[in-house]
Amino acid sequence: MFEARLVNSSTFRKVLDAIKDLLNEASFDCSENGIQLQAMDSSHVSLVSLNLKSDGFDKFRCDRNLTMGMNLTSLGKVFKCSGADDTVTMKAQDYADTVTFMFESKKQDKISDYEMKLMNLDQEHLGIPDTEFSCIIKMPSIEFARIIRDLSQFGESIVISCTKEGVKFSAQGDIGTGNVKLAQTHNFDKEEESVTIDLQEPVALTFACQYLNSFTKATPLSNQVKLSMCENVPLVVEYQIPELGHLRFYLAPKIEEDEN
Amino acid sequence: MGILNLTKFLADVAPHCIKETDIKSYFGRKVAIDASMSLYQFLIAVRSEGAQLTTADGEPTSHLVGTFYRTIRLLEHGIKPVYVFDGKPPEMKGGELNKRMEKRAEAQKALDKAMEAGDQAEVDKFNRRLVKVTRHHADEAKELLRLMGVPYIEAPCEAEAQCAAMVKAGKIYATATEDMDALTFGSDIVLRHLTFSEARKMPIQEIHLKIVLQELNLSQTEFIDFCILMGCDYTDSIRGIGPKKSIELIKNHRSIEKILENIDKSKYPPPEDWNYEGARGLFVKPEISDPDSIELKWGEPDEEGMVKFLCGHRQFSEDRVRNGIKKLQKARGTSTQARLDGFFTVLGTTPAKRKADDKKNTPNKRGKLGGAGKGRGRPK
Repeated sequence: MFEARLVNSSTFRKVLDAIKDLLNEASFDCSENGIQLQAMDSSHVSLVSLNLKSDGFDKFRCDRNLTMGMNLTSLGKVFKCSGADDTVTMKAQDYADTVTFMFESKKQDKISDYEMKLMNLDQEHLGIPDTEFSCIIKMPSIEFARIIRDLSQFGESIVISCTKEGVKFSAQGDIGTGNVKLAQTHNFDKEEESVTIDLQEPVALTFACQYLNSFTKATPLSNQVKLSMCENVPLVVEYQIPELGHLRFYLAPKIEEDEN
Repeated sequence: MGILNLTKFLADVAPHCIKETDIKSYFGRKVAIDASMSLYQFLIAVRSEGAQLTTADGEPTSHLVGTFYRTIRLLEHGIKPVYVFDGKPPEMKGGELNKRMEKRAEAQKALDKAMEAGDQAEVDKFNRRLVKVTRHHADEAKELLRLMGVPYIEAPCEAEAQCAAMVKAGKIYATATEDMDALTFGSDIVLRHLTFSEARKMPIQEIHLKIVLQELNLSQTEFIDFCILMGCDYTDSIRGIGPKKSIELIKNHRSIEKILENIDKSKYPPPEDWNYEGARGLFVKPEISDPDSIELKWGEPDEEGMVKFLCGHRQFSEDRVRNGIKKLQKARGTSTQARLDGFFTVLGTTPAKRKADDKKNTPNKRGKLGGAGKGRGRPK
């Protein structure tokens, strides 16, 4: 028996909005520790890693480890049926081939439930090594989304370069070039608006806009976003989900052509 | 050509080994293309109003049109193609080649007849059957590839064998061909439909040899024997033994020698002087050049050279050629997107099977799953 209750169903909806651009379907692994999801997009360029801790839920019970393969478009339809303030309860029997979502309105005067068929999915598990990152940038997530959106107009890829002066995003294309530089700012009153850079050594890496743009769909989840970079290692874009866990995206860099 | 009915058989028996993918997912991959096969395709497919495209003197240029545009398309998708041309055919292929010659002669006769009768549809049909890739076509294609900066290799013998050896050596990712014997030669991954026209909207089929062997529960040597039973280019097969019987026999006896000892020879007479050992030898130890000695280089396209080669005598439109070259240069300029698998190791794949396999309805599971799949994912 699996049962998880979340008073704030909109959090789950935001998670779903953040990943459904990249993934059509995914397996949710449920254990007593919580719910995990790890999946690559079809081109194997980016990876979504979601971790929701069991103690972040208002009620969580998972007697037996369970993998639920879901079509995310269908799951999106289910959550479209929920109200903004609804409480959601997910339920599944052991070895079940369906999962049930129950939405309760705030005043408890309306209860709706939806049962969705599960899918059998191929799952490829990736071992992600621990990396000592050369630089870790924390910045307001809205600012990050804005920069990526703006620079996407100029080219297909964005160079993120980080030095001790600050972080620079740049793009170039047929119409010209665009550069955005951010300096470190400490705003002690409003922690969420500050830009902090933890730098071991300078890095510059190139990434495809298309994927960065998809990642920024997670902006509503968190005020701050954390970018971790290191030469020749995928970028990690992390959004903390308050009290519940985190959503991480990994993105393979673009590599300059050598003569082979 | 290739192995008789192998694709159909695999689709039925080992459906997991064939994945349908999109050309977009092959960026950054090095792929060996069976050149003779694709030139043949181009000569048949690239036509206007049923006739081949030709030079001012009536020499066909369809193969060049195809090579030019389809290669550009591959490069635009970030794929790095290397073309592999056939060398001399192996002696054992003589029988098969004779058969093909006979068929051509028949087609020629039928064509003459149709011409006399003035039946245009028939004329077109037999015209296509008479298409042959000559040395001259291949040389022209090589010259074009050289100008485009795309590498090509001349295999000492069969192109598929050379491709397979390069895949095995890790030089390239996959073999692109329609000929299924690339699998028999041991190419880990075979791509079909890669050089097809975009307009046909054919998904690319990716066939994994490892999964084929796993699902059929055969070793590579047993798989080779199985392919010979199915019917290959190098020798005849036993009359009256089709795919079903072949797999059954190979699973029971594990080699052709054992099968011959055990089957009823009056019912299934093996061909006279059946040289299955020779055919097997060709698959196991084909004549190839050492993959490690091959250097693959994708160079700068020679714009003026290409314009001179294609336009003028060969009647290509200069605008289109220059446009194509621009695309080539653009594709070269961009950096390649890396893949995550290159950084992280795949720990393992959990196949799409429910863990509760021990349920009662296991026997008819396949049928059940197929039926249930269609109605999936639409909550009411």
